[in-house]
Amino acid sequence: MAELISAVGFGVVTAAILAISAVGFTLQFSVTNVFNLAYGSVMTISGFVAYWLNSSGLDIWLAMAVAALAGGVLSVAINEVIYEPFIRHGVNLFGMVIITISVGLICDHALQAIVGPSFFSYNAPAGKALHFADLVLTRQELAIIAIALVVTSLVQVALQFTRLGRAMRGVSVNPSLARACGVPTRQVIALAWFLSGVLAGIGGVALFLDISTFTATTGSEFLIVIIAAAVLGGIGSPRGAVLGALVVGIVTEVGAAYWNAELKDVLAFSVLILVLLVRPQGLFAQLAIERAVAR
Amino acid sequence: MSAATQYYLATILVYIAVNAIAAWGLDLQFGVTGVLNFAFVLFQAAGAYVAAMLSLGPSSADGGFQRYLIGVHLPFPLPILGAMLFGGVLSGLIGLITLRRLRSDYQAMVMLVVSVVATVVVESVISLANGSAGLSLIPNPADGLNGLTRQAQTWVFVAICAVCTLIVGILMYALLYSPYGRVLRGTRENEAAIEAMGRNATAARMQVFVLGGALGALSGALLAEFIGAWAPSDWLYPETFVFFTAVIVGGRGSVLGVAVGSALVCVGVQQAVQYLPIGSDPTVLASLEWIITGLLTMLFLWARPQGLLPERRRRFTETATQPAEGSPGAGGGTG
Repeated sequence: MAELISAVGFGVVTAAILAISAVGFTLQFSVTNVFNLAYGSVMTISGFVAYWLNSSGLDIWLAMAVAALAGGVLSVAINEVIYEPFIRHGVNLFGMVIITISVGLICDHALQAIVGPSFFSYNAPAGKALHFADLVLTRQELAIIAIALVVTSLVQVALQFTRLGRAMRGVSVNPSLARACGVPTRQVIALAWFLSGVLAGIGGVALFLDISTFTATTGSEFLIVIIAAAVLGGIGSPRGAVLGALVVGIVTEVGAAYWNAELKDVLAFSVLILVLLVRPQGLFAQLAIERAVAR
Repeated sequence: MSAATQYYLATILVYIAVNAIAAWGLDLQFGVTGVLNFAFVLFQAAGAYVAAMLSLGPSSADGGFQRYLIGVHLPFPLPILGAMLFGGVLSGLIGLITLRRLRSDYQAMVMLVVSVVATVVVESVISLANGSAGLSLIPNPADGLNGLTRQAQTWVFVAICAVCTLIVGILMYALLYSPYGRVLRGTRENEAAIEAMGRNATAARMQVFVLGGALGALSGALLAEFIGAWAPSDWLYPETFVFFTAVIVGGRGSVLGVAVGSALVCVGVQQAVQYLPIGSDPTVLASLEWIITGLLTMLFLWARPQGLLPERRRRFTETATQPAEGSPGAGGGTG
């Protein structure tokens, strides 16, 4: 029993990191319909921004805030400089997937050429371990869970109840109709990219804190798990992404404790494939039809 | 020519041949039919492993230093044929799960996930194919030939690759310029129209998925027999992207174009990087290869999306393209 509880504890931490990242990934997809496979690179680069600040003496949580901002700026920049022009050039949905992979590879390998193939870690103590019956979590892990709760609830509330959220959902369903109704589509799309980048930044730093050593490709490797969580919940649904993150996080860590630590991701991916066989649109997706790229 | 130059030349030729076969396999799926298979390199890997298992002999050989399934020693060309068969069957199984029910953007993502899962499984379950260390001492079918020098044996293998490439290339032409090829291109261009003509677009996708998987496996089998070793680091999921770049640069749906594209992207970029005056740090060189590949893809999608040697557009006579009287909407396509 104690083993199960501690495995679930690890699972919740993983789920928290996954939830932050998957909500960012899915939020941007729901507004623009671009599968951004460079998202993992935005996480990594933000993580390294935090690393550079942290190694020059800044507290890791402040570094995380700056990294979030950097992620947001990078994400908007990638969209404005590369994706937008390609979309206006008439590249279709699948062309865009290939473009985002190119951007991701270029970012990862440019970073790798600069920092080299070595492993890095933050200078941040995990903090005192806190016991809740059999559950043991460090202060750092608790902070990550708290950040995830706050960030994902904020996104959910903003989407549900604010004018901006309504505008985002409008652009997501029908961009040209939204524009005709006076929604400034371009700004809404830019804001979606910014928010997505901010979440990538927070998620990246949280991920690097949790796994303690990272390289120039760690974010892109983790992206596959993020995609699994987002697709499991139904891509484009932030609520679904949180649920998907919980399922994937807990299944992987319980699997690691009881079955095989190396094969834990396989378990999560098998859950994904099984769910998709029964419910091809994912757990929460509202729309089962494909849509064109929003412009 | 010195032995080293000969070996270098032979290696380049084998790589051009093997990558052309693989790129044609992906072209059938992505270029011609429009299926985004982000797990393509998995089928190349499957072919390599099966060819190794069917030619290495029992795993107790060589002191049992590596573990793997099957372990028989079959004569050439049975290991290669077995690899193709397995590649096709594996494609069929994965296609059954992903192609039938999922919408196409989910398909692409799930294929990406499948590719990663496969790597993790092969790395962690050592008894499958010796884990991350991979298989080595894979026999080359030309090695056993009596009365030939080492160099001559290498050239025999080059000839085997050339013959395979020629056969696959001719089959590609035959396939693409047949009525079946039109069904495939129609599935890419306008699925609804193909269905309205009484053809089954899902079945067409399944068929190219299996065919492409078998071609991927063929390329993997030849590659593993040439290198003599095969490990999970040879087929990480970004490797699939290199074949996508080859198809885009060469020209989607164009047989000759894709062969040229694969030679330029899969072999040319790697060779060109070696001669750049930027030192010899292997990390920087490898990173540069990826950066160039990514830039090439974006450059071509922006400036020449049809590729270097575009797919030939068939022109039909006026009577065939003129809409008949009283049939509005004929000829109009949906974006």
